[in-house]
Amino acid sequence: MRTLVFIPAWNEEDSVAAVIADVRDRMPGADVLVIDDGSADATAQRAREAGALVASLPFNQGLGAALQTGYLYALREGYELCAHLDADGQHPPAEVARLLEEVRADRADLVIGSRYRDPGPAESDDYKPTISRRIGIGVFRFFLTLATRQRFTDTTSGMRAANRRVMALFSERYSPDFAEIESLQLAVREGLRVEELPVRMLERAGGASFLTPVRSAFFIFKGLIVLMVGQFRPRRGAEAGR
Amino acid sequence: MSALTVAAAQAPQVHLTAQTRIIAAVLAVAFMVLILELIRRDKLQERYSVVWFVAGLGMLAGAAFPGLLELVADAMGVRDTNVALFSIVLLLLLGLALNFSVIMSRQAAQITRLAQERALEKARQQAGSGENGSEAKRERLES
Repeated sequence: MRTLVFIPAWNEEDSVAAVIADVRDRMPGADVLVIDDGSADATAQRAREAGALVASLPFNQGLGAALQTGYLYALREGYELCAHLDADGQHPPAEVARLLEEVRADRADLVIGSRYRDPGPAESDDYKPTISRRIGIGVFRFFLTLATRQRFTDTTSGMRAANRRVMALFSERYSPDFAEIESLQLAVREGLRVEELPVRMLERAGGASFLTPVRSAFFIFKGLIVLMVGQFRPRRGAEAGR
Repeated sequence: MSALTVAAAQAPQVHLTAQTRIIAAVLAVAFMVLILELIRRDKLQERYSVVWFVAGLGMLAGAAFPGLLELVADAMGVRDTNVALFSIVLLLLLGLALNFSVIMSRQAAQITRLAQERALEKARQQAGSGENGSEAKRERLES
């Protein structure tokens, strides 16, 4: 099956080439697309040198718009499967391949890689969240579970695999501000099968988390509004398109 | 406090003075001329001018027929016609500002889609031209 692995990247020149090499190594059959979200550095050039296709947004549009670009490309170019992972080296491609396997086997339409469902014995370079992050995660976990009546542990995971149903939905409707959480709510509301798979994630190789305490609080507040509004949005009826 | 309330209740209704009405009428006319001029110079699109023109006409109507405003003030339970005027204008501006936020959101979405289309086009070109495309195409043929 034709598979696209896409990587949203914003100013990730230090880590993007290694991630691409790793993906190509682990998933030789997949095409790799880097969505350069208006980077000011050499991200696009490094990605091209590393052998990836590059879709450059002319100015920074935010993670949601970048991810949507990837889904759009996968949909229009006729890929049957797609997956995305972060450009900072947190997501091991071997784990992405496992997610893709779930979708390929048609056990789910959308599979999320979860850091918090215990995948086995911990290793020294495993991902460890900070306290403020843990609070935010707890809040979102609670409200998303409430909204979808499905248990999610890693609501902001940027490691996902999807089939064409999801591509069709996300390329049309994808929140530019609040991509990760709203997309889960949306997919469940549209009747798609969403599943979490425990995965290992590493500490980031390059770049810094954008979260400060004030930003975290704002992020959580915005997230709750988005979730609340999302509950009252009209359904698009993905079932009809099946 | 209660004495003041009673006094206020007995106070006569406050009307617009002739001076206010003249100034308002002149301003309204000047405002509408400005709108027309902006349209003429292509600085304002017609579709966004209608609402401003209606506002100007409303202002003129208020100045020419103070009875209208007094009716509205009565309906609002406001004794001072000036307060009614301010409230109406405030609400109108609030509505307009919201309207602009809606338009802005729509345009932001359009700009995003435009940027995405351009990015996709570039990637498609890259896939089509040999560079890395050869490999991608070979895999496509195999599968």
